[in-house]
Formats: sequence, structure tokens, C-alpha cells
Amino acid sequence: METIVQTLSQDHSRCDQLFAKAEESVAKTDWKRANTDFANFRAAMERHFTMEEEVLFPTIEKRAGQRIGPIRVMRMEHQQMREVFVEMEESVTQQDSDEYLGLSETLLMLMQQHNGKEEHMLYPLSDRVLQHDAPSVIKEMQQKGDQL
Amino acid sequence: MNATLLSLEQTPPLSVPIRFFLTAPLFGILASILLFYDGPELFNNRWGMHTLALTHLLTLGFITMVMFGAMLQLLAILAASPVPHPVLVSNVLHISLTLGTLSLAAGFLNGYNWLMQSAVILLGFSFLGFISVVGYCLIRIKDSNPIFTAMSLALSALAVTAILGIGLGMLFGFKISLPFPHILTDLHLTWGLIGWIVLLLIGVAYQVVPMFQITPAYPTRLTRWLVPLIFLSLLLWTVFYVLALFNKVPILFPRILMGLIGLGLSSFAVATLTIQKRRLRKLPDITLNYWRVGMLSLLLCVILWLANIDSIFLIILFIGGFVLPVIQGMLYKIIPFLVWLHLQNQQGNNPMKRIKVPNMKKIIPDKQARYQFWLYMLAFGLLIGALLAPSYLNSVASITLMLSFLFLAYNIYSAVWLYWRVSREIAAIV
Repeated sequence: METIVQTLSQDHSRCDQLFAKAEESVAKTDWKRANTDFANFRAAMERHFTMEEEVLFPTIEKRAGQRIGPIRVMRMEHQQMREVFVEMEESVTQQDSDEYLGLSETLLMLMQQHNGKEEHMLYPLSDRVLQHDAPSVIKEMQQKGDQL
Repeated sequence: MNATLLSLEQTPPLSVPIRFFLTAPLFGILASILLFYDGPELFNNRWGMHTLALTHLLTLGFITMVMFGAMLQLLAILAASPVPHPVLVSNVLHISLTLGTLSLAAGFLNGYNWLMQSAVILLGFSFLGFISVVGYCLIRIKDSNPIFTAMSLALSALAVTAILGIGLGMLFGFKISLPFPHILTDLHLTWGLIGWIVLLLIGVAYQVVPMFQITPAYPTRLTRWLVPLIFLSLLLWTVFYVLALFNKVPILFPRILMGLIGLGLSSFAVATLTIQKRRLRKLPDITLNYWRVGMLSLLLCVILWLANIDSIFLIILFIGGFVLPVIQGMLYKIIPFLVWLHLQNQQGNNPMKRIKVPNMKKIIPDKQARYQFWLYMLAFGLLIGALLAPSYLNSVASITLMLSFLFLAYNIYSAVWLYWRVSREIAAIV
């Protein structure tokens, strides 16, 4: 059976790959590729956030019948990452590689500690709460993501 | 609901971990000064009081100091099981560890009983406090995970090391008699270096190595078995080591167990180098450099141990080539990130958002970290040279080492200075 842990952790790795690709293009100051690569990375992240914020999180909170502290923190960290994306985009537009690489270093730490918490705690918790309904929630998440 | 999850948002204030990171390089500077004054004599006698002072300035003053701070932070970030009353706890632990280490080093250097007595009391208090608080946080975690297992076993090894150390300290300070002090010293040293320091570093590596460079994860079989097997071998080694000294079992027995531990440590080093080679992030990175040096030194330690090289050389290679590089590499990621995170969180309360929070590479610029890395490498090379040709190189080696710790201190202090400056600007707007 498909689990939340597998599906969303794999999506994290996909985002990591796109992150590394964009960073490499910027480091080489290949700005044409950097533009596309950064846009792809950002789109993948937004898709991931949307799947969580609009499908997974509300479903879990509904099942639990209460607001869950960690979910609030996850949403807050998504917001923090979005703020960094805005600055990163500016640096791509201005072709400022030093600024981009400083921001990407920062984003990576923020993103990895966030992913770690999700993969070790929130996703296993979601699988426990959802049990057999996990596949249908995954399907709903993917549909939501594809609409973007 | 998982109760521990609910505390996810309680990141301790920056002052909690940072005071330990600010103190550590100062002990590195003290150790270098001692090395400068005592010179080559230090390397000739493993049991010499000045050698013991030097060792403890580094293992307690630098290494344990950073590990205390990092654990208090990591429990909140990785384990979602933050230390209760973090400011009070870190105040008490930091002051007692700092003063305890200073009295211990001073006690070794001038032999006053009262210094050794206060060291025993202060360090005993600090370790008891740390082990109980961190132990409580670890027991509270319901999920099992290789990182938490490593932390728990490292903490148990710290307890063994501390009990032996306190006993040996009482031998000096309170003139109590202890049976076979040299055997106890060997056990204290092995449990401290391999049990406490290495097991914790391995556990932390499982988390941070894939994170810093986007590498594949460590192999699951390795993360599941390595740390528990090393711990078990260490326990058996202890028993056989003591029995062998009393001629109850052949001396080969403990050597085989130590060989197994060596095998475990090499597989960790090889696994780390292998996954780092497969990293997605190929940019130059000082943390990566420091870790590679660390892993190669660890491998070299195991090879030289097999070749029966004398223990002083091994210990210097182990601490100077493996532990200190790995820790310094980690500080270059943790400190800028914590500074950024706390400023960003402070900014979060401010709807105007007029202050731009500096990114990690503005908090500690790459160039500064790179120079410090090369300076440390030079110092380490000279130190190894000084072991072979003491009379010429020792003063140069110790001065270079001192400069590298000064540079490290400069990098950390300027990061914290920048934090204060920006934090005040943000506060002024709010």
C-alpha cells in the first residue's frame, strides 16, 4: 500500500535534485539555465506545499478533531521558505550569484530540517491517523498538485 | 496524539547553545598556550600532569563544550523533545563545565588539592545535570530512530567516562586510594573518546551529512547496527581488558574486540566518504573539507593502531585530525543558521519587515571560514611534524594552532555580534 511517508519523502528528494541543479547553474553563472532551473525548483516546492497545506494538513486535523501544534509550525516554515524564494528570485533577476548562493545555503538548512521533521514525525503520524485511507488522500493530493 | 510532537515549536533561545560555542575556542587558545610553554615535554609522557591538563582542556573545554550546546539545540530541532527550562539549565551546565574544566587543568598543572577537589565537585555536578536532563528528554521520545539510539548510548558512555574520571579526580584531590589507577585511566580514556565522543558524532552525522550536501542517506543496515555494535564491543572489551591484565584471558581477546571497534569506525568513515562522493551539491564547502579530513584521519588512526604505533601519536591524530575538524566543520553550518533563524523569527513579529536579515554566507563569509580551515590544517600538519622533530617545530606549531583557534573565535564572535546588531535594529522598528 502506498504511504504518505513514501510518497511525500520521494517528493522531497525530487525537490532536492531540482534545488541542486538550480544552484549549480547559478554557480556557473549560466543565467539562462539558472532562470529555468530556479523556476522549476520553485514550482516543485509550491506543488509540494499545496499538496500538504490544502489536502494533507486539513485532513489530519479533521481526523484528529483539533488543531495540531506541529502542523502550525510546518505552515509557518513553508511561509519562511516562500520568503526566501522571493529573495532568491530577485537575485536571479539581478544575476547576483553571491547573493543567490548565500540564500540557497540558508534555504537548504531550513528546508532540510523541515523535511527531517516531516519525514520522521509528521508523515508517520499521518499514516497512523489515516490508515487505509492513505492511498485516497495521496490521490487527492496529486490531483490538487496537478491543477497548479 | 503524540504528545512530544506538540512541543515542536519550542526552539530554545539563541543564548542557550551559543554560550557553549563562544567558550569552546577560548579553551583551544588556552591549550595552545600550554603547548607553547611546555613544549615537546608534553608528548613524551602520557601520564604527565601537564599532558593531562592539555588533553582535558581540549576534550572537556572544546569538544564536550560544543557537544553540550549542540545537544541542547538538537533535542529541540531533531527530536522535538526540548530541554525544560533551557536558559536555567544551560546557565548551570555551562558555568559548572567551564569552571570545572579550568580547575581541573589548573589542578593538574600546579597540584593543589583544593583545585582538584573543586574540579571533582563542579564537573561531577555538570555531568550529573547534563546526563539527567538529556536522559529525561531522550526517554520521553517515543519513536525509535538510529539518531536517538546513538544519543542515548553516547550519553551512557559519558556516564561511564564521568564516573571513572570523578574517581580518578578524587584520587588526586581527596587522596583516596583507588585500585589500579592506570587501568582505570585507560578505561576512562577509551570510554570518553570512543563511547561519548565518537558515538555522538556518528549519530549526528546520520542526520547532518545527507542534509548539508544532499547526499544519499547512510545505508539502513549501517545506521541500525553500527552504533549498538560498537557500544557492545566496548562493553566486552572492558571486561576482557581487565581480565587480560590479570592473566585470566589471553591478551589477544581485548585486542580482537578493539579490532572490531576499529572495523566499525572505518566502515563509518568509508560510508561517509562514499555518500559524500555521491552528493548532489558539488559546490566548494568548508564543512565538507573539514569532514573529509576528519574521515581520512579516522581511517589512518585505525591503520596505525593495527600497526602498533604509540598511543600519544594516535591520540593526537584522533583528536586533532578527526574530532576537532568534524566539530569545526559543523560549527560553520550550525552557527550561521541559528543566527539567521532567530533573526528571521524575530522579524516574523514585525509586519513592516523593513530590515533585511543577512543570509548565512553574510553571517560567516566563505572566505573567512576558508582561511581558518587552512590555518588549522597548517597547525595540524606542524603539530604532527613537532611530534617527529619536537625541538624545532613545537613553538611554531603551537603558535599556529593558537592563531587558528583565535580565527575560529573571531568568526564565531563576529557572527554573534552581527546577530546583536541586527536584532537591535529589528527591535527598534517593532
